Amino acid sequence: MMTIDLNRVGAKGAIAEEAEGKWGMVIDQDVCTGCQACVAACAMENNLSFVGEEDAGYGRTQHWIRIERFWEGEYPEVKITPFQPMLCQQCGHAPCEPVCPVFATPHSNAEQLNLQVYNRCVGTRYCANNCPYQVRSFNWRDYHTEPDRGNMVNGQLVFSLHNQFNPDVTVRRRGVMEKCTFCIQRIHKAQDKAKSEGREVEDGEFTTACAQACPANAITFGRMDHPESLVSLLAHQDRGVKHLEELNTLPRVTYLKEG
Amino acid sequence: MSKNISRRDFLKLATAGAATTAVLTGCGPASRYVVREPYMEMPEYTYNGLSTYYATTCRECAAGCGLIVRTMQGRAIKVEGNASNPVNLGKTCARGQATLHGLYNPDRVEKPTKQGRSATLTNDPVLWDDALQIVADALNNTKLSEIAFLLGTAPDHLFDLVSDLASAIGAPAPVRFGALSMFDSRATLSKASENILGQAGLPFFDLANADVVLSFGANFLETWLSPVAYTRGFAKMRRGNPKRRGHFIQFESRMSQTAAKADEWIPLLPGTEGLVALALGRLVAEAKGGAIPRAFASVNVDEVVTRSGVSLEQLEHIAALVAQAQAPLAIPGGQALGQSNGLQTAEAVIALNALTENLGKPGGVFLSPLAPNEDAYHRPASAQEMTDFIAKMKNGGVKVLFVHGVNPVFELPKSFGFDEALGSVPLVISFATFPDETALASDYIFPDHHGLESWGYQRPATGTMQPMLSGAQPVVVPSFDTRATADVLIAAAQLAGGKLAEALPFKDEVDFIQGKLASLVGQADGSFSAPEINTFTAYFQQHGGWWRNSQEETAPSAASALGKSLHLDAAEFAGEGEFFFLPFVSPTLGEAGANKPWLQELPDPTTTVMWNTWLEMNPETAHELHIENDDVVRIVSEAGEVEAPVYLYPAIRPDVVAMPFGQGHTAYGRFAAGRGSNPADVLGLHFNEAGDLAFAGMKVKIEPTGRTQPLSRLESRIGVYGEGLGEEH
Repeated sequence: MMTIDLNRVGAKGAIAEEAEGKWGMVIDQDVCTGCQACVAACAMENNLSFVGEEDAGYGRTQHWIRIERFWEGEYPEVKITPFQPMLCQQCGHAPCEPVCPVFATPHSNAEQLNLQVYNRCVGTRYCANNCPYQVRSFNWRDYHTEPDRGNMVNGQLVFSLHNQFNPDVTVRRRGVMEKCTFCIQRIHKAQDKAKSEGREVEDGEFTTACAQACPANAITFGRMDHPESLVSLLAHQDRGVKHLEELNTLPRVTYLKEG
Repeated sequence: MSKNISRRDFLKLATAGAATTAVLTGCGPASRYVVREPYMEMPEYTYNGLSTYYATTCRECAAGCGLIVRTMQGRAIKVEGNASNPVNLGKTCARGQATLHGLYNPDRVEKPTKQGRSATLTNDPVLWDDALQIVADALNNTKLSEIAFLLGTAPDHLFDLVSDLASAIGAPAPVRFGALSMFDSRATLSKASENILGQAGLPFFDLANADVVLSFGANFLETWLSPVAYTRGFAKMRRGNPKRRGHFIQFESRMSQTAAKADEWIPLLPGTEGLVALALGRLVAEAKGGAIPRAFASVNVDEVVTRSGVSLEQLEHIAALVAQAQAPLAIPGGQALGQSNGLQTAEAVIALNALTENLGKPGGVFLSPLAPNEDAYHRPASAQEMTDFIAKMKNGGVKVLFVHGVNPVFELPKSFGFDEALGSVPLVISFATFPDETALASDYIFPDHHGLESWGYQRPATGTMQPMLSGAQPVVVPSFDTRATADVLIAAAQLAGGKLAEALPFKDEVDFIQGKLASLVGQADGSFSAPEINTFTAYFQQHGGWWRNSQEETAPSAASALGKSLHLDAAEFAGEGEFFFLPFVSPTLGEAGANKPWLQELPDPTTTVMWNTWLEMNPETAHELHIENDDVVRIVSEAGEVEAPVYLYPAIRPDVVAMPFGQGHTAYGRFAAGRGSNPADVLGLHFNEAGDLAFAGMKVKIEPTGRTQPLSRLESRIGVYGEGLGEEH
């Protein structure tokens, strides 16, 4: 496996991590249909709050994964660029990490992921400013408990939508930054299960919510440090590109180009 | 003990206490301090109990996708696809994922209600015993021909129960309807299949194995027929075969989400899709050599070029691709068929498949197999059949109307007059789960459980070649005082006695479903087998249904397909306006997604608009009319008018405007009501030869209102500062 000496390429004091990382994702833009199933699946798995029309208009939506597309050309020679699901790239050398004054965006050495510790976060939003992928979203309000989402039952405000919350995932409050975690709760479940059975986590044993839902099978998640895993094989195709690689962020998500 | 402890005594006691604790517990000095631990052990890192998983069937549309629902402590937490269900093979669409926001929606009908056609939900309670009596009396005291059942396209077990009831007592068969089937033009597709392939029903297009795909307005990646199955087929077409990448060409006047994935998008004049299919047929036949089949003999290619706006070079280039392809496939879709000449278009496109000899071959066209306990394909009512039904209501031919699983006041265009027709029906009983427009216009609402709280089964109309029955079971205990409609009908029939009780001699809904499954016990080649019905039912629930392991590949006969001379009448457009009007079903909301907040917050795949309705207009056209983004315009047709903000859409013909269907509710809960507008309000009563609505056959005028309303879009967020990349125009 290739290793990049980050100190040699000029990133002083950087966490010298293997370029590939441990967990990785491959997204095939040739088959992604932009259907938003991953976005909905992520929202349901990770207790994302919806923000309503007005806040959505201000760009405050809590999409941990969003589907980008751009217009190219003019009618009739107009195209929509291939749908591009954009999510936290779990950078090996993440610009969001060093700017947090309270260490709420630490790097996990065990998982080689970018963590988000919600109750350390004091909401400076430096990390979001410094993220070149613009994938962090901030809780501008306590969206989950906005009074117009509940019903008065016997003098108490009851939020029936809260019944759906995933107990494995923190419900974030106002003033906290959040982002895609690669479904870390699923990673931990799978690892604990494997450990109790005295083995390693197998490739394909579990996957993230987005990959699980995707009707086109455009998203593949797995161990990048296993050269024979599906995600490794896909990532090393000729079509594979990484976004903003020139920033030396060492992204863990590989995109497969159209064509 | 003294009530007064001096400060000195207190300190003595406290010190002694602390020392004792330290000795007894054996803890070191650290225990004397409160340790402030960072909350690193978040729920993500801890065990919070075990989950239970149940297999069931999605009810957000009628495709019959299997679900596995994760539940914990009696609450449904997450929906996943059932990996063994042949329709969706473990996958779901966004609407399936958000079905939990229906289950736990804060606006549900929570108890049997005397609604009295009030504008808002009355919450005026009725006891279930009284409700059963009301249904029993309605069935008993009404002339049989004047009882009417209006059902949605799901679930099928209720349709079977009502069909059995109606035929046993001699009442009219239930009418099924859904906006999706209207916009899919299912009646037209079925009729064309009957005319050209010799069997009514929805053909199965084997996208996965095709190498050149021509889609004539089929939005198969959005809501068309069975979107999860067709998306899988699309992905396989593109990447399933390492030696080739399928080539995909879409013919439609507006670039839909599906067309955005096409290699070539051909923006032809609306209504000329069939002509182009015929011209391509002729050119392909010429390229292949030999005699030109009768079907394509009469078409004049030059005339097609003039009328459709597709150049001769383009047609020849596509014809050459098709002629050289190993497995070309042509798909006729909803909007091409929702024209006055829609049936001819469907026939022309299906004949194109016959010409390329792909009928019954991999990558070609098959007849969808019937479900294991199905006698024939029961298609939903066409729009024209709905007008007959409404006419009967208006003429006083319906004295009692039962409505389940459909919201015709919203889903049918206003011009149909369903709303007014309800006024001529003395008793309307709704079984709605949500307070939708039709439920509010009813006398009583006897709410059914949500789909995830229900028993049942669904027959996928298409999407797999394995004959199958997708099973549903409750994954959680019902949240409210609701009751299964099948149980209500069975109990009411027992209460009424006589012929009615004989027609439904069941203990309950599950008893009825078991009766329907009985014929499958012991059948060979099934996904499981069981010796007797109770075991069978248990497996049926556990596996989420029953299906045959082998595919039933029914090849249609090509003999009659090409012998018939096909021609195409010019499409007729109703109204005076200068724009062709193209309503399309919102890919994220579908027909009934508007009350689910996370579906509202999903950006539309092509415009990225959330929480609203918009009108798509070509930027050049808008510039000429001095219309900008977010300007509210009035869309006026011969049938009515609606207002919507404009989205300048670069990929639409300058003479076409398009608008998504799914919003514009006046009821249906807090997340849907009063939001956006409904394009169906401007659709007039025009039909094609198969009786489907010519919904893409309207012309409209666009009038500025002088107001603006900013649309919330995702795209302006993209890019570093301010307005996003690439949306400048």
